Amino acid sequence: MSLLFTHQNLRNVLFACALTLARPAFAQEIPTYAPPPAMPASTVKLPTVMIMSMGGTIASRGEPRLNITNYGGKGVPRVDPQDWYHDLPELAGIAHIVLEDQRAPQDRAVTETHEDLARVAKRLNEIVKDSNIDGVVVTHGTNTMAEVAFYMNLTVKTDKPIVFVGSQRPWTGLSGDGPRNLYDAVRVAASKEARGKGVLHCMDQFINTARDVTKTSAYRVQTFKGIDVGAIGFADPDKVVFYREPVRRHTTQSEFAGGDFPTVPGVEVAYSYREAPGYLIDAMVEHGVKGIVIDGTGAGSPTSSQTEAIKRAQEKGVVFVVTTRTRSGRVQDTPRRRESKIVPGDNLPPEKARILLQLALTKTTDLGEITRMFNEY
Amino acid sequence: MSRISIRFIAVVLSFAFISPVFAAGLPQVRMFTTGGTIQSKGAHRQKLMEYSDGKVSPEELIADLPELKQVAEVSYTEIANVGSPGVKTDILLKLANEINAWLAKPESAGAVVTHGTATLEETAYFLNLVVKSNKPVVMVGAMRPFTAVSRDGPMNLYNAVRVAASPTATGYGVMILLNDEINAARDTTKNNTYRVETFVARDLGPIGFADSDRIVFYRRPIYRHTYKSEFDVSKLTSLPRVDVTYTYQEEDGTAIDAFAAAGAQGIVLTGGGGDSIKKAQAKGVVFVQSDRKGSGRVVESERSAERGIVTSDNLPPQKARILLRLALTKTQDPKEIQRMFAEY
Repeated sequence: MSLLFTHQNLRNVLFACALTLARPAFAQEIPTYAPPPAMPASTVKLPTVMIMSMGGTIASRGEPRLNITNYGGKGVPRVDPQDWYHDLPELAGIAHIVLEDQRAPQDRAVTETHEDLARVAKRLNEIVKDSNIDGVVVTHGTNTMAEVAFYMNLTVKTDKPIVFVGSQRPWTGLSGDGPRNLYDAVRVAASKEARGKGVLHCMDQFINTARDVTKTSAYRVQTFKGIDVGAIGFADPDKVVFYREPVRRHTTQSEFAGGDFPTVPGVEVAYSYREAPGYLIDAMVEHGVKGIVIDGTGAGSPTSSQTEAIKRAQEKGVVFVVTTRTRSGRVQDTPRRRESKIVPGDNLPPEKARILLQLALTKTTDLGEITRMFNEY
Repeated sequence: MSRISIRFIAVVLSFAFISPVFAAGLPQVRMFTTGGTIQSKGAHRQKLMEYSDGKVSPEELIADLPELKQVAEVSYTEIANVGSPGVKTDILLKLANEINAWLAKPESAGAVVTHGTATLEETAYFLNLVVKSNKPVVMVGAMRPFTAVSRDGPMNLYNAVRVAASPTATGYGVMILLNDEINAARDTTKNNTYRVETFVARDLGPIGFADSDRIVFYRRPIYRHTYKSEFDVSKLTSLPRVDVTYTYQEEDGTAIDAFAAAGAQGIVLTGGGGDSIKKAQAKGVVFVQSDRKGSGRVVESERSAERGIVTSDNLPPQKARILLRLALTKTQDPKEIQRMFAEY
């Protein structure tokens, strides 16, 4: 049997899971502070969860085990999806696991691009139509996972749980957070309560929404937080529990959902600070971008030089959205902002405003329409 | 480009015309006043503590904010004018019944409750469990008295009335509004003694904001509340006595013995308790295990179930007390009460 289970040979995997269940297996080395829930009497009733790897620290190895900053890289073996399954036999107690590898080749020179997002979104749109699959867990590196999750939140048409997960320490790290996070993400993806809440994120026991979650700390394990609005639930030892439903449109309610976007219009981000110049914006326009997100100071203000460059760019049809570098609070709709024809980015961070603007620009360049989208998503 | 600008201006104009259209039939909001800092006066405007130099009537509150006329037709019912530690069961029951009577009227849009901040969260959670309506109920207070420099009361009250008047605020349960933030009654606690940024939902965060451009919501509470709640106090004149014990090193259950002797039907623990728990249980006292940390859940466990102790989920002791009081109006069965703690 092939080591790598693909979605296509689901039957083999289910068979393999059943075999695993027969073994008494609780590996000592797995960091876990709670006993796993009792195995159900009939494993037939277990939900089926796909674990899809987009790589990340959770899929990385480092030597020695105190190496938690300089791991992975060329020539270092990665953690393949079946390694997770092998190292976490408890997974078999909570779900039938199907594994899928969506990692870029290890030797590829470029970091993740839009093509990777489009490919995975398309694949997720296929998978969720499969009645055998109850939920999907997607692993990703933590640096950009929040914006990738937000892209899926807008483009995947399903009410089945899709849960993004990663780790702050490599799979091999001392007190590595990966195993617990992966186990909890599968529990969330397997839970009925997680349905219809959009794309979710689960690390360090916190369940956050794709729209609002952001990485707040470079190395601490408690890094992902919901900007302004907090978590919506927890993967606690006794149960997966939800306290909040997101109000903003997502997944089944998204006008972008189910769409295939092999390419999207170029959108870049310009940061604001005292004396931030206009020429960077000119260069972006020269390069051919269709939209620019200004990450403004305070309530969302560019400098006077940036403002002049914005006017020049608007003459050429470039659409502007403004966010705030405070990383909390909404950029509000004001008469002055309307006059300057800049779309307020609500409380999205610039990297997520960029994703929404890219998708918006596939449909329209009308500022009223784009303002509506930023109010609704 | 000119086509884009014209469309944009059209959208802008349509927004600009919204308020005059509304002015024709303003939503009706009733303010239920109970007192607190928002209705207190100090002898001079730098007096931010011990400001018991005079009280503000509901009429004064409304007269102080002529801007309210642009957002709602505001009437009032004075329930009390006391500091929040003085809010007792009779006031809670009167408040609940008056609010229910108001919200049952077809012409009512919502309700605002002024309250002292010290126990505001307890009244908010009580109302969240007994108000029989999906119309907005907004609790409001102030951290600085009516007379203070940079007092926060007026903007809090203005925003509370905006939310109570807003159809978008329907079905969120009872809300707490101070400092522009809309918080859910169940999850929010006072977090600081004097700063204006005091109400925080530690585990979860706010559910929305009253910003200048609009009222905006990001989260809908899932736990049962208001129109989905099974609790009804309309025929009650009292509530069961429930007390709270605080645990610490060498805490030995003396408080539990005393509360049981005083007739407590329920006791909320923050840990500890020793042998006193079993003695009180023998007398029929129901125990709920909360925690003194103020964040995180007390998880359901086999050990607690075996001891007949209900776990409080992430309710702090003062809110577990409110739910236990209401639960005890229905049942003494720990299993049934445990269900309630998982649902409310």
